[in-house]
Amino acid sequence: MSMEDYDYLFKIVLIGNAGVGKTCLVRRFTQGLFPPGQGATIGVDFMIKTVEIRGEKVKLQIWDTAGQERFRSITQSYYRSANALILTYDITCEDSFRCLPEWLREIEQYANNQVVTILVGNKIDLAEKREVLRQKAEDFAESQSMLYLETSAKESDNVEKLFLDLACELIREAKQNKLDNTDSAPMPGEGKAISYLSCCSLN
Amino acid sequence: MADSGGTAAVRRCDSGSVSSIGMDTISALTELEDLERVYQQLCDGEKEVEAKLDRLVAQEGNIHTKMLALQRMGPNLQLIGGDASQLSGMITFTCSLAENVSRKVRQLDLAKTRLYNVIQRTDDILDLKFCTDGVQTALHNEDYEQAAAHIHRYLSLDQSVIELSRQGEESSAVDASLVLLQEAEQKLKVIVAEKLDEAVAAVDLAQVERFFKIFPLLGLHQQGLARFGQYLCSQLASKAEENLILATGGDLGEKRAQLIFADTLTLLLEGIARVVETHQPIVETYYGLDPIWTHSMMKSVPGEIIEPRELDPVLSEVTLMNARAELYLRFLRRRIMADFEVGDIQKHQQNMEKLLKHCLLSTNMQELIGYYIPMEEYYMRESVNKAVAMDTYEKGQLTSSMVDDCFYIVKKCISRALSSSSIDCLCAMINHANSVLESDFREVLYNKLRQGFPATTLQDIQRNVSSAVILMQSSLQQGKFNTLGIESTENAKAAFLVTLNNVEVCSENITTLKRNLENDCSKLFSQTGGSGDQAKIESCLSDLVNTSTKFKDLLQEGLTELNTTAIKPQVKPWISSFLAISHNIEEEEFNDYEANDPWVQQLIINLEQLMTEFKMALSPVIYDTLTSLMTSLVSIEMEKTVLKCSFSRLGGLQFDKELRSLVAYLTTVTTWTIRDKFARLTQMATILNLERVTEILDYWGSNSGPLTWRLTPAEVRQVLALRIDFRSEDIKRLRL
Repeated sequence: MSMEDYDYLFKIVLIGNAGVGKTCLVRRFTQGLFPPGQGATIGVDFMIKTVEIRGEKVKLQIWDTAGQERFRSITQSYYRSANALILTYDITCEDSFRCLPEWLREIEQYANNQVVTILVGNKIDLAEKREVLRQKAEDFAESQSMLYLETSAKESDNVEKLFLDLACELIREAKQNKLDNTDSAPMPGEGKAISYLSCCSLN
Repeated sequence: MADSGGTAAVRRCDSGSVSSIGMDTISALTELEDLERVYQQLCDGEKEVEAKLDRLVAQEGNIHTKMLALQRMGPNLQLIGGDASQLSGMITFTCSLAENVSRKVRQLDLAKTRLYNVIQRTDDILDLKFCTDGVQTALHNEDYEQAAAHIHRYLSLDQSVIELSRQGEESSAVDASLVLLQEAEQKLKVIVAEKLDEAVAAVDLAQVERFFKIFPLLGLHQQGLARFGQYLCSQLASKAEENLILATGGDLGEKRAQLIFADTLTLLLEGIARVVETHQPIVETYYGLDPIWTHSMMKSVPGEIIEPRELDPVLSEVTLMNARAELYLRFLRRRIMADFEVGDIQKHQQNMEKLLKHCLLSTNMQELIGYYIPMEEYYMRESVNKAVAMDTYEKGQLTSSMVDDCFYIVKKCISRALSSSSIDCLCAMINHANSVLESDFREVLYNKLRQGFPATTLQDIQRNVSSAVILMQSSLQQGKFNTLGIESTENAKAAFLVTLNNVEVCSENITTLKRNLENDCSKLFSQTGGSGDQAKIESCLSDLVNTSTKFKDLLQEGLTELNTTAIKPQVKPWISSFLAISHNIEEEEFNDYEANDPWVQQLIINLEQLMTEFKMALSPVIYDTLTSLMTSLVSIEMEKTVLKCSFSRLGGLQFDKELRSLVAYLTTVTTWTIRDKFARLTQMATILNLERVTEILDYWGSNSGPLTWRLTPAEVRQVLALRIDFRSEDIKRLRL
């Protein structure tokens, strides 16, 4: 592991209703493509992109999950090890926005507590068909203490920003954790009875 | 000629530069000068005229020869004129001849075409008649293949020709034939359809195939395929139902039927499009069965609390079904790929992948796997919980039963997921397994370690005899000798040590599990390929490595805990007892120490006793790590203690001896090199052994040779100061 050529490795999982553009966001970011007529994802897809942030190599493992209900049990198994979740909805589809609380329940149930969740409203290139007001989405995101971003995979709007912001946030948290850990970790040989509790705690 | 020359000359004079020298002018001349001038002029003119005349006369000969030549050519020209008119006549003749010939050829050609038409029509009419008769007899004889062949022939006739024939004289006869044929065609269609239905009803495969082959001859490709598909479906349905009733998993039937279906198809169908078109309806109707299967299976699994073991057969069946479905899809893929033209494989392949991935069979299997995963996860989690609840430990064993049990279960579940041939299913189960191991199972082990290693050891009890006696007395007073306290302590100790072993084995097992899965997966991939899938699995598997590391960390923490609570409190006083042994000694005491070891032998015995308990109860790897921790502890404590003592020259020698014994002993109990850990102490002993302060310079700096000093100059001074016979000024004066 340590031999590999990166400073950080993060797992990012995209979730959200079917057809909101998860695969297109991933494709746009990893390959610079917008494949029209993208078929529904089967199970999960897996992409890797390494980016450099302030001189540090960050390897992003991006898991693109199927939105369809029948794959739910497969996609759920990826939540726990995810460092970040990108919860995506389609701004031209009120329904996909209305389903968000359901997705949040899933996150609550399966993801780890430290996961960073960002809410993404995709398809802003279809502004004339917008069904979900930006303010409404922002309010919702704030009430759930999530970050919020609007993107267009088609026009490549904010896609890069989405993943890079996320990577920055993850680095920040990783550094914070490291600091916390070194604070509380017992020095070897020091008589702190059962002090290893602190750094093994399972959240 | 001369005249003409003269007039010419005169005219020339008139138009010459001399202005009008006519006779009048001359006669009018009176002056001699004028006359002479005019005369001169006239003389010049004459000379000129003469020269011209000479030139003209000189040309005469030339002209004469030319005239002669012309006269000689005359007869020749006449000859040529004759030839030319003759040629013109011939050309005119040939032209008209050619026109004649071509007109005749055209006529011939027309005649030929008409002849062909006539022959074609005659043929057609004959064919038509032949077909009409043939169909009648064939129908009569129930030779449907023959009849169909006739109809096929009729259908392939040029319809316009037939129309034309009908306008001819024989229209009535042709009409009659046509009516007959059309009747026969309709009749045959009805018959064939009926017969096929009959054969289907009778499950007579030979007949079914016989009539199935007739359909395309009648131009009823789609209908035939649909009927055949229906037949296969009903066949499969009944077979599957039969199998379901017999509960023998109808996969065998499915497989065989697939082959018949495919063979017949390849025999009868050309063209990819049609293959794809036909595959899909058949596949879809055929696998319309699956929901029934799923349903019956789901029904047998009511919600509420399920005994995990009861899930076993269901889970195996589901994975087997998926494996079969994957096999079937792979077979289809191969078949279809073989039919593709080499050129446009890629385009077709994409379409095919889309088709296969989204066909009803795939969707149903995805749904089924969707049900399978939570069931398998439930099975795994519950079984692991059970293994933990039923955990037993037999004396003499290093680990307890739950580790083996737990890994047996995890392996079984992942293998089963692997056997489904679904990559996503496998990945999901690896994720779940990882979660069970890392959270649930690690939590169990972690909680056990958290209870800690009981601090009260036998030695403690010996040391606190008085309190123990009181305890015993009180027990006796209550009428029973309560050993429970000591016994439970022993149990708690054993439990802690076993847990340490468990943690270590877990870490190992996870690594092994990962390696084995990698091998299994590479086998799977040699069949299916797909680099994206491989990356997915690799990523999921690499999470196992992290989990293994977490177990290793846990082990380390546990060992640290053990070292802190069980070893350190013991070792510390043993070492500080060094302080009670004076190292400010003279010859006599040194010899006395030689005879009766004051400290180090007892320390070694104590350490030996202390560690024996762990050596028996811990796996060699853990024991070794623990010994290493103990050794470090000893060296650190020794260092601290030594710095609190004072030494004479012989005391230094004594310490050197003691240290050598200790290091020699510790070397025998551990596979780690401990020289390094004792390097500082050894150097301290060296310093304490010096004759004079300045002797240090023989070992310091450029004289150090292979020795690497672990002590700083300040520390060297500090150690030197421990020698009571070294003067502090000498030490201060040292240049280090």
